[in-house]
Amino acid sequence: MKLLEIGNLVARYGAADVLKGLTVDVDEGEIVTLLGSNGAGKSTTLRSISGLVPNITGTIKLAGQSIVGLKPEAIVRLGISHVPEGRRVFPGLTVRENIQLGASNRKGVTRRALEDEVDAMFDYFPDLKRLEHALGWTLSGGQLQMVAVARGLMAKPRLLLLDEPSLGLAPLVVQQVFRIIADIRARGTTVLLVEQNAHMALSVADRAYVLETGRLLVSGKPDELWNNPQVRAAYLGGLSAA
Amino acid sequence: MFLQLLFTGFGIGAIYALVALGFVLLIRAASVVNFGQGEFAMLGAYALVIAVNMFHLPYWVGIVLSIVVMAGFGVAFAGATYWPLRNRGGLPVIISTIGASIFLENMVLVLYGPNSEQIDGLFDNPGFDIGPVFVDSQYLSIIVVATLLVALQYFIFERTLLGKKLQATSQDKEMASLLGIPVAMMILITFAYSSALGAVAGILVAPILFVSTGMAALIALKAFAANIIGGYGSIPGAILGGLALGVVETMGAGYISVPYKDAFAFLMLLMFLMVRPQGLFGEKISEKA
Repeated sequence: MKLLEIGNLVARYGAADVLKGLTVDVDEGEIVTLLGSNGAGKSTTLRSISGLVPNITGTIKLAGQSIVGLKPEAIVRLGISHVPEGRRVFPGLTVRENIQLGASNRKGVTRRALEDEVDAMFDYFPDLKRLEHALGWTLSGGQLQMVAVARGLMAKPRLLLLDEPSLGLAPLVVQQVFRIIADIRARGTTVLLVEQNAHMALSVADRAYVLETGRLLVSGKPDELWNNPQVRAAYLGGLSAA
Repeated sequence: MFLQLLFTGFGIGAIYALVALGFVLLIRAASVVNFGQGEFAMLGAYALVIAVNMFHLPYWVGIVLSIVVMAGFGVAFAGATYWPLRNRGGLPVIISTIGASIFLENMVLVLYGPNSEQIDGLFDNPGFDIGPVFVDSQYLSIIVVATLLVALQYFIFERTLLGKKLQATSQDKEMASLLGIPVAMMILITFAYSSALGAVAGILVAPILFVSTGMAALIALKAFAANIIGGYGSIPGAILGGLALGVVETMGAGYISVPYKDAFAFLMLLMFLMVRPQGLFGEKISEKA
């Protein structure tokens, strides 16, 4: 079943079209990754889905229902949780508080249930438990990423949007992040992943779309893309040794 | 004499601190420097005067009415000055709050006339002596109420989920919206609360000053100075800056010269701007508009 359908999406910042008619779809239970160089429009695609880009045309549907024109608050309530580029952990709040706020899209969660859910999240991310009362600004990049993902999962999303989760992390931490992404899908959440680390992204994804300056260059299963000489030269070549 | 001036200084400083708190909360939640903050205090005081002196309602009813009306007024104020301009950057909103403050002062002049009003204090008992210090009941009330309000605010911001959402909104509005926090609602709540804080300051100071349209500008300027002295955007800075300003101007008036009372306050502001422009709690920033 199609969970997310994006059709002929055009996104505009000022006078410039950042996306020029993009069509992408994500089936329920998949990990789909968007690849491409800087400025290809990957982040803009995620920002358009979550309602952060005011000037868009085309269609974006979640489980058949159009979400174009809805506010970000409304879209996350429908079940799309966005872990943005740069993690955006609230610097003046503690790890626990940051994770708690991830449930803000759900109504009627009692304080008790919320605390229990946060504790369950600490079981899932045991490294965060000892940082429970640390303020956001004191965390390292890897810790911030864990908090951001944990906060995103607190929304109990149907679709999790992850923007560059491996950016700036040490190789061991990158592997940990990708293990978590695979595990999130195994637990039933669909993932749309934006990555520059094509090698790692293709190792967990079911399908991939390669974007170039706001247009779709090619899409397919990871092994098809690995064997596509054009894609390999342009996007994967430099990373194939990674 | 020193202790007496210290007590009075804390009393008047607590008023500045309350209004400065309202300033800071809006700076943090909505990046708005609201020059209508003094009008919130003035209108709160007028609301009390109208309720008590004109309609002869019990004093405490007047207080509750004034606070409730002013909280609602804060939302209306946001709708008029902030909402239409919220995506245009900080400066247009600042100018619109200046415009609103001029409008409000003159509306009060038109509707109420230029005569200043007097109103009784909270208590009939004027006060009592502790050693050499005469503890004026109104000043004591100001200090007690301000302390309670600061404690209440600390509780709301640090111990409740609503407080966390307000903090999240002030730290990163876009991220807050991505989590499903109703950002617009959070900002309106902040406006309502700031306005109610201003009203409390106006109610408390009304029996000490004459209630007049002129009180708005003076209170707003002092509160703004308190923000600069305490550190732009800092909550503890607003409280300490307000208290310091109140003590310095009262000491200056007591020991040096009463007519120059306001000058001591602004002299202190100038000295901070020269020596420590980031204020007591502020971070060093080269530019902040």
